[in-house]
Amino acid sequence: MNKTMHPIEPEELMAYLDGELPADRTNATAVHLGECSECQSFVAELCNVSHTLKTWKAEPPESDAPAVATALAENRLKSRNTFPAPRSWREVLGQRWPTVAWVGAVAAILLLAVGMPMLHRGRVDYAVSQHGDAIDSAVVTKTVREQTEERSLLSPQPPAGQKAKQFDRLQTFAKLQPAPPTKYKRWLQDQSAGEPGPLPNGPMIIRTAELSLITREFDKTRANLEAILKRHRGYVGELKANDTTGSGRTLTATLRVPADQLDATLTEVKTLGRVESESQSGQDVTSQYVDLEARLSNARNTEQRLTDLLRNRTGKLSDVLSVEQELDRVRGEIERMEAERKNMATQVSYATLNATISEDYKAQLQVVPPSTSTRLGNAAVEGYRSMADGVVSLALFLLSTGPSLLLWGAILFFPARLVWKFAWRKVRRGFAA
Amino acid sequence: MLEFQGGSHPAFEELFARYRGPLYGFFRRRLNGDQRAEDLTQETFVAIIRASAQYEQRALFRTYLYSIAMNLLAAERRKQFRDSPPGESAPEPATGDAPDAVLWIRQALEKLDDAEREILMLREYEQLSYGEIAELLKLPVNTVRSRLFRSRMALKGYLEPTRKVRDAAAAGDAAEIVKLTQAEGEAI
Repeated sequence: MNKTMHPIEPEELMAYLDGELPADRTNATAVHLGECSECQSFVAELCNVSHTLKTWKAEPPESDAPAVATALAENRLKSRNTFPAPRSWREVLGQRWPTVAWVGAVAAILLLAVGMPMLHRGRVDYAVSQHGDAIDSAVVTKTVREQTEERSLLSPQPPAGQKAKQFDRLQTFAKLQPAPPTKYKRWLQDQSAGEPGPLPNGPMIIRTAELSLITREFDKTRANLEAILKRHRGYVGELKANDTTGSGRTLTATLRVPADQLDATLTEVKTLGRVESESQSGQDVTSQYVDLEARLSNARNTEQRLTDLLRNRTGKLSDVLSVEQELDRVRGEIERMEAERKNMATQVSYATLNATISEDYKAQLQVVPPSTSTRLGNAAVEGYRSMADGVVSLALFLLSTGPSLLLWGAILFFPARLVWKFAWRKVRRGFAA
Repeated sequence: MLEFQGGSHPAFEELFARYRGPLYGFFRRRLNGDQRAEDLTQETFVAIIRASAQYEQRALFRTYLYSIAMNLLAAERRKQFRDSPPGESAPEPATGDAPDAVLWIRQALEKLDDAEREILMLREYEQLSYGEIAELLKLPVNTVRSRLFRSRMALKGYLEPTRKVRDAAAAGDAAEIVKLTQAEGEAI
């Protein structure tokens, strides 16, 4: 797989399956997986390898653990003897060996007799808490339900015949594997097993229709349009009415009607006038919806894990704060995705009908000429306005060019004067001659 | 574990019940012999009981448990290596519902590099996270991830031809079996 076609590395796909990818890459990976069949088949192969490996099971034999029981008894004794004044076990054993041996033996027997039902109960608890950080809620529900059944079986004391059955059930618990963290992975696995999983609500299509009508009775049409909408349980998303001089009135409306009512509504709206243009389109958003669902479920799992982390782990204040920040970010993301999903669902359930209704325009001759006094008044206003404009223009010209004119005047004054004098003298000499 | 350290024995019983099965599986998949795996499982718990006073919560208990188990396993392997002459360690076929399938997986796993196999088994069977494996084997997390990827890819390659042979056997296609077996032999 080359990197230009696949923005996600195969190693990252593996980490995604293991739930070990950083949150910022998880979403991108989920999106890419939803679109790329090659990556989907690669993921399916990886799942297959894991699945094959899981067939190698190794169950512990049903036997006691004498070494552990003895060590536990020793430990119990030690903790009892070392409290309140701590002493080493060598001292204890050295000084009171016969007592210790007796107490140890009695404790071991007691432990074996009393402790076994407790061990069984412990095994049941194990199923709940073994993969506490990644376990699916469905598995927890199932386990808790079965745990209740187990306890009722164990109480008050199970008859000998039930013990084997009980053990079988407990072994079944031990075989419980942690469920894949997201619904999407299960869906993927179904895909890889050749059984396409059911889509959320069948194909999801956003339907849009455009309709342009010309009507002669504009006012009546508008009332009829509202009646049609009411009949089909629709509503007006947006409405604009224009009445410009020189053309007919127009009504531009964005109508929202339930998707299953779109055809009926269109048929009725078309009767309101002459159809000028009509178009319909449908956008399939099934894959986007499935992908959104998967991302949402993933984010919810992350939120759950972070909440568990906060609840169960202790750490530095900075760690707690960073987990809190991450939790805030994930929650924000969940809310955004939920809004997006809701919006998508609304768009699917309600089709959009963009209707433009124009009035059949008839041009009218204007027969009212303006009066003489109005014309005189207008002429006076025009004259005053042109005079004021002239004055203002002159002032503006002087202000803008005045300084330059003064400068050039000052520069050219003396040479011009000399030229003038020279010319005048010549003229005078001519006269004198 | 901290509760057990504080003197709560039911807490230990819970730990025992929770980890006995996984720990037995850990030893059973890495050693030959049921009894030895059971003994080593018990030895691990005994070590935990004896060292409970010195226990400090620096990481997850699971990592602590498997680090003890890894030490015991290493000691056991050294002992086996000392006791038996070289070249005598024939793998014992594991018992179970489908021995041939298990044998097939074992053979594929044995072809892997030791370090990569250990990481793969810790992930697949012990369900440890990348961080836990890294802590246990004293490796960077990225190294764990890349080795895990390599081992999965290699294992996929080892399992694939054998799977085809098995599928052909199920379909009763003798010619296909011969062809695939020859191809596998040439590859080896």
